[in-house]
Amino acid sequence: MKKILSIILVAVLAISFTSCKGFLDKEPTDSVVAENALATLEDAGVAVNGMYTLLKYYTVFGNYMIQMGDLRADLLVPSEGNYVVYSYDYEASQNSYFTLWRNFYTTITRANAIIKNIDALDVSAEKQSIKDDYLGQAYAVRAFCYFNLAKLYGRPYRLDNGASLGAVLITEPVSPSEARIPRSTVAQTYTQIENDITTALSLLSKDKNTGHMNYWAAKFLQAKVALYKGDNNTAYTAAKEVITDSPYSLVPNADYLASWALTGNSEAIFEGLVNLQSAIDGDNGFGGSFYYSMWFGYTNCGATIVPTKTWLDLVQANPNDIRNQWIAYDDPAGDGKKTGETWLKKFIGNTGFTAFLNNPKYMRLAEAYLIAAEAGNATGKSDANALLLAVAQRADPTVTSITATPENVEKERMKELIGEGDRFFDIMRRNGTYTKADPHQVFNEVLSWSDNRVMLPISADERIIYPELEQNPGYKD
Amino acid sequence: MAFAALLSTMAFAQSRVTGVVTAKEDGGPVPGVNVMIKGSRTGSFTDENGRYSLPNVPANAVLVFSSVGYTTLEIPVGGKSVVNAVLTSDAIGLDETIVVAYGTAKKGSYSGSAAVVKQDAIKDAPVVSFEQALAGKAAGVQAMSYSGQPGSEVEISVRGYGSFNASNMPLYVIDGVPATSGDWGSGNISSSAMNFLNPSDIESITILKDAAAASLYGSRASNGVILITTKKGKEGDVVSTFKASVGVSYFSYKKHMETVSDAENEALQRMSFRNYAEANPSAWSSYGSVDAYVENRIARYYPAYDYDKYIYKNWEKAIFQHGVSQNYEYSISGGGPKGKVYASVAYTDQRGVVKIDYLQRFSATINGEANIRPWLKLGGIMQYSWQYQDGHQDGWSSKDNPMFMWKAVLIDRWPYAYKASGDLYEETFSTRFNTINPVAQFKHQVNDVKQNRVVLKGWAEVSFTDYLKLKSTLSSDWLYVHDKFGWLYGHPNFTAYGTGYASDKHRNINKVVSSTTLNFDKTFDLHHVAAMAGWEAEREKFNSLRLGMTDFSYLGATESIMGTTFDEGYSYSREEGLLSMLGSLSYDYDNTYYVTGTFRRDGSSRLAPKSRWGNFWSVSGTWRFSKEKFLDYPWMNDGKIRASYGTSGTLPSDYFGFMSVYDYSYYGTDGASYPGNIANTDLTWEKNKNWNIGVDATIFDRYSFTVEYFNRKTTDLLLDASVASTTGFSSTLMNKGSMVNRGWELSLNVDIIKSNDMDLSVGANWSRVHNEVLKLSTDDEAINSGWFWWAKGYNFYQFYTRNYLGVNKSNETINGVKPGYPMYAEGSFYSKGEVVDQDVTLKNGKVIKAGETMPEDGYNYAPARRQSASSMPIAGKRAMPKGFGGFNASFRWKDLSVSMAWTYKYGHYICNSTQDEIANDGYRTFGQPISVKQRNPWTTTNADSDVPMRIYDNNQGGYYNSSRMLVRGDFARLKNLSVSYNLPKNIVQKLSVRNARVYLSGANLLTISKCEVDPEIQSDGYYNYGMPALRTWSLGLEVSF
Repeated sequence: MKKILSIILVAVLAISFTSCKGFLDKEPTDSVVAENALATLEDAGVAVNGMYTLLKYYTVFGNYMIQMGDLRADLLVPSEGNYVVYSYDYEASQNSYFTLWRNFYTTITRANAIIKNIDALDVSAEKQSIKDDYLGQAYAVRAFCYFNLAKLYGRPYRLDNGASLGAVLITEPVSPSEARIPRSTVAQTYTQIENDITTALSLLSKDKNTGHMNYWAAKFLQAKVALYKGDNNTAYTAAKEVITDSPYSLVPNADYLASWALTGNSEAIFEGLVNLQSAIDGDNGFGGSFYYSMWFGYTNCGATIVPTKTWLDLVQANPNDIRNQWIAYDDPAGDGKKTGETWLKKFIGNTGFTAFLNNPKYMRLAEAYLIAAEAGNATGKSDANALLLAVAQRADPTVTSITATPENVEKERMKELIGEGDRFFDIMRRNGTYTKADPHQVFNEVLSWSDNRVMLPISADERIIYPELEQNPGYKD
Repeated sequence: MAFAALLSTMAFAQSRVTGVVTAKEDGGPVPGVNVMIKGSRTGSFTDENGRYSLPNVPANAVLVFSSVGYTTLEIPVGGKSVVNAVLTSDAIGLDETIVVAYGTAKKGSYSGSAAVVKQDAIKDAPVVSFEQALAGKAAGVQAMSYSGQPGSEVEISVRGYGSFNASNMPLYVIDGVPATSGDWGSGNISSSAMNFLNPSDIESITILKDAAAASLYGSRASNGVILITTKKGKEGDVVSTFKASVGVSYFSYKKHMETVSDAENEALQRMSFRNYAEANPSAWSSYGSVDAYVENRIARYYPAYDYDKYIYKNWEKAIFQHGVSQNYEYSISGGGPKGKVYASVAYTDQRGVVKIDYLQRFSATINGEANIRPWLKLGGIMQYSWQYQDGHQDGWSSKDNPMFMWKAVLIDRWPYAYKASGDLYEETFSTRFNTINPVAQFKHQVNDVKQNRVVLKGWAEVSFTDYLKLKSTLSSDWLYVHDKFGWLYGHPNFTAYGTGYASDKHRNINKVVSSTTLNFDKTFDLHHVAAMAGWEAEREKFNSLRLGMTDFSYLGATESIMGTTFDEGYSYSREEGLLSMLGSLSYDYDNTYYVTGTFRRDGSSRLAPKSRWGNFWSVSGTWRFSKEKFLDYPWMNDGKIRASYGTSGTLPSDYFGFMSVYDYSYYGTDGASYPGNIANTDLTWEKNKNWNIGVDATIFDRYSFTVEYFNRKTTDLLLDASVASTTGFSSTLMNKGSMVNRGWELSLNVDIIKSNDMDLSVGANWSRVHNEVLKLSTDDEAINSGWFWWAKGYNFYQFYTRNYLGVNKSNETINGVKPGYPMYAEGSFYSKGEVVDQDVTLKNGKVIKAGETMPEDGYNYAPARRQSASSMPIAGKRAMPKGFGGFNASFRWKDLSVSMAWTYKYGHYICNSTQDEIANDGYRTFGQPISVKQRNPWTTTNADSDVPMRIYDNNQGGYYNSSRMLVRGDFARLKNLSVSYNLPKNIVQKLSVRNARVYLSGANLLTISKCEVDPEIQSDGYYNYGMPALRTWSLGLEVSF
């Protein structure tokens, strides 16, 4: 009897230990199961922030996009290394620059997840506008990413009216097999961008929303996309609307240099927010610091990209131009003489942060003026000169008049937008020319807009697992 | 009436007979002996104490005692109620009972592949953890240390490598219960979870290698299983034993990173600056002449000794010392028919070879069991250990790594201290690393790990009958690790932590396991059937807490509470569950034919509900051919062939890899979330299909050998497989691809002399594992993983880098490589039939001109500059050895015994990553040690040199990764030698002790190798300033009372 009792006891003890419910159903504590992560409007707001985190990294606008825009053209030059981009020497088998492609698609995926899931959220009438704004941001961010992909991987739109291959259009969350669809044309990519912008404009808030896309950021994007398509009327109208109706204004001359250290200065329409965490171990550490390649004063960072002679000559031609103060001189002898290399000191680091952390500015009102001036001049608008003057005068208050000729607009863009990754695309959209004034004699070449090297290669590694992804002409896997 | 009388007579004549069966050789109990009543089908087996009990035995019966490995014995009962038997061994080793999955087995009848390492083989080795004593001990098993720092993890690999992104480590099972294992160090120093076990408390270690042996551990068995059995009390007198030892350690391998003398160093650097100046007139123009430039540079980086101002010291002596270790342990063991107990306490204290290294361990264990009722046994084990380990950064080019400082930074002429004040010299030595005197740094860094571990096990065994038993075990294994890392305020040379950094991490891991098994074991005549069925549940809870602060105001502050700036802090936890059902069934006939089947069904929380249950099984058989009449030769003591086939698995390392989750971080000052992965609800185990064939034989009473062939194919490999970027991710954890490990294992033991006064035996084992990746996601896919190349047809540890072709010894520039400069293979890959876009040189030297088609797949071997050379798999060079194993010998003459154990490995390469600093042909280093390999570089007058031209700012040379860093790693090492002397009986009796023994034991005493670094390193063969193995001499005394 005792025996039987003991057996029962042992068996009961043994079984009770495992019969607790959900013994095999565990959940992580450092992440949230997807079904629960977008349950409320507040959750959606957090996920909206998540769309922006990658764009600020050095692998996107923190550095690589700047190299693609300025190092490939005549504004920046490597002081050592970085020759691959500088000399258009990229190959499909090199992996360093494919992070651009990848990060834009990761951001698009985040936007798609919001677009797909936000509808299911039941919100009160007074919060409907917040929900709309979140949805609008997702469309706007997606358009922004596709625009950059088209710029990097397709031929300039105006060359062949968008007939070349552009981005892969992914508009909802996809599985690995669903993700393998062929590339669209540049024209189809632009259509997607325009549709997304139209949708976004109908939803977005017009309030200032630092670090996020609002109505004005989408409007700015509309202007810039139109400019790239050669649709100067739309470009002018949209840019003009941003200038006249938005809460943004040009930072005055006196505050201009210091404004680069500020988050949410009066002309920043859309910028990336670097975080306030310690710079020691986080994503802003040595390897990932924004603009570190261009920063001049920090020995560990190894400032490796410097302004070209072309740009220095352009700015130094007018000593009154405040942008002369962006030029810093290395002083190897320590004697105060400007004998060493010349560095760019435009990005002075966010206030209170380690000096080389900057918020990348994706859209500034100054550029809206430049777009409006260029498009206005092309369509015979009377205020074109005044629009260009606004930017020139901010840099040098003694300038009283300027004509918005294409050449003058181009020069002003060069002076104003250095280090913002625009120049190469700017030249290519116009089939322009440029001179590489190269002190290193590594490379001297001028590309025409039909050159295959205007397009980046598609990763050969990716094509192994994704053969539907067509390679750009001129590249070998 | 007559009937009743008959009944009563029978009742009277039949009674219960009990007894103990012992072995003649050592007097110890023999478990598992079959005790039969002759001519009937009634019988039983002895238990683990050699006891048996048979009911209803006729007074005139004869009992037959039989067991594999023993001569069968017949004893008439003669009306006695106690019949003891003493069995004589009939062959070598077969009587051995070995611990196997969920039970024990006779070695002679076991059909799986298992290697056993006994206490004797590790008992005197001067090691912290038993893992360090395993090298070379068992065929197919490699044990490789990550570092020579005391307490570091040892990587154990059983029959090759089966996983890319999941673990390649075996499962550790202690006294029948899966245990927490692995490295629990801080990231800066390694700390093995197995340190908690004092090696002296271990009775035996069984390493399960094939499916028949390991499949009962199911989803975690693919990389083998290490079963550790700790000591139990022995029946008999209470014996207590005191053991003490003192040891001394220092580096064991003289050739480790040899560097040139101070004077030679200066001369080489002079050459380096001169060559640079001659090639770059702009460098010296402001100095007036090449000579002036060179003198200026040398004066800057090789300042003359200034004995008036400074004290100079040999850096080796300044940083290192002879490590001293002490070990004390006391154990007590005893028992009787009602129960038995073993208990021990131990203390270990090791001062490291690096002056800041230190290890201290307390451990205690109690293992007891009681026979409460004839049908009920209860038992329990408690193991406790507390360990403190203070170490240094290791294995990378860190300013806080003494090996790096000694071998790559410090040269003799850097001052040690100021003469006037005696203060340490704390100026920057090298602008390249911002390094300073490491001794000055020692007091400003903290790298320590504390481990607290408590393992509790309780069990109950109920015997329903003598052939049916139920055993239930409940256990808790709690490991608490606290590690501390700090560059304290005052640490002179780390700018980012200018005013100090101090951090703590606390981790708790608690594993609770409950298992219940029902065992059946019965003999019917010549038929023997054993069966087991059971279930097991395991729950693991983990939590961690981390805090780091920076910016201290008080010099010498060590705790983060004194910091002013928050750096990092968080808590984290997770849980895991594993539910299993298991069973086995075996049958044998007349100790000649054996068949066994095992089955396990596992359900894991690491997998999605629909795919979390999996079945693992094995079948195996043995034919003992020596029992057959037609093979019954007198010289054949025993011979058998065994074969097995079965499956096992490996779980994903990722606890939630199957789930779709959102990750959280921040954007600016706000929170941000985004999809964290691609859900893969199909995620499942890696599956292993193993087969194994082995022959074991013992002949002429002295030769025993085992030959085995195994084939382990892993499919559904857990691979972070690349996916289209358009998914928003670059990879996802998938079950893709397959890999095979197959090979031979051979062990041989010879008892050369066996006599009362003298024994001499020698043994050897050899293993050869062929590893090959069969497939990744697609046939074409290749993954470059650090120094390795994972692709179809290649070894898991295939080196992949620039292919170094040697010095351009001609006087012409070849493809941009100037005379004296190193040449590398251009390295572009071309597929068969492809039209080549440049002249391509095939491996055999044949040139395919640009525009021609490739006759075969191949890489371009044409010489090129470093900048134009691509990485490629380096043919024939891999980190995995072609063969490995060990030798051992033991000798006893009366009370003196000597034993030694060697380990060896050959046919593999080590990547000596330290070459980028000390053998870089000039690069940008100066005032740093230079490898002896850099002597006699190429010059126009020494144009046949294999060392490239030495030139400052060399951007072609050894600074850059290439196959030049790959060096042969072949070695044989005397891992252990012990001499032990048992004090003679008369002396022992005078001292009134039971036994006394003194011993001298040495570790890593002799190394035979041509390798330029200590060749005994971890499996990936990557050497980067790790702490090499230490030579230790230890003197010990053991007294039992």
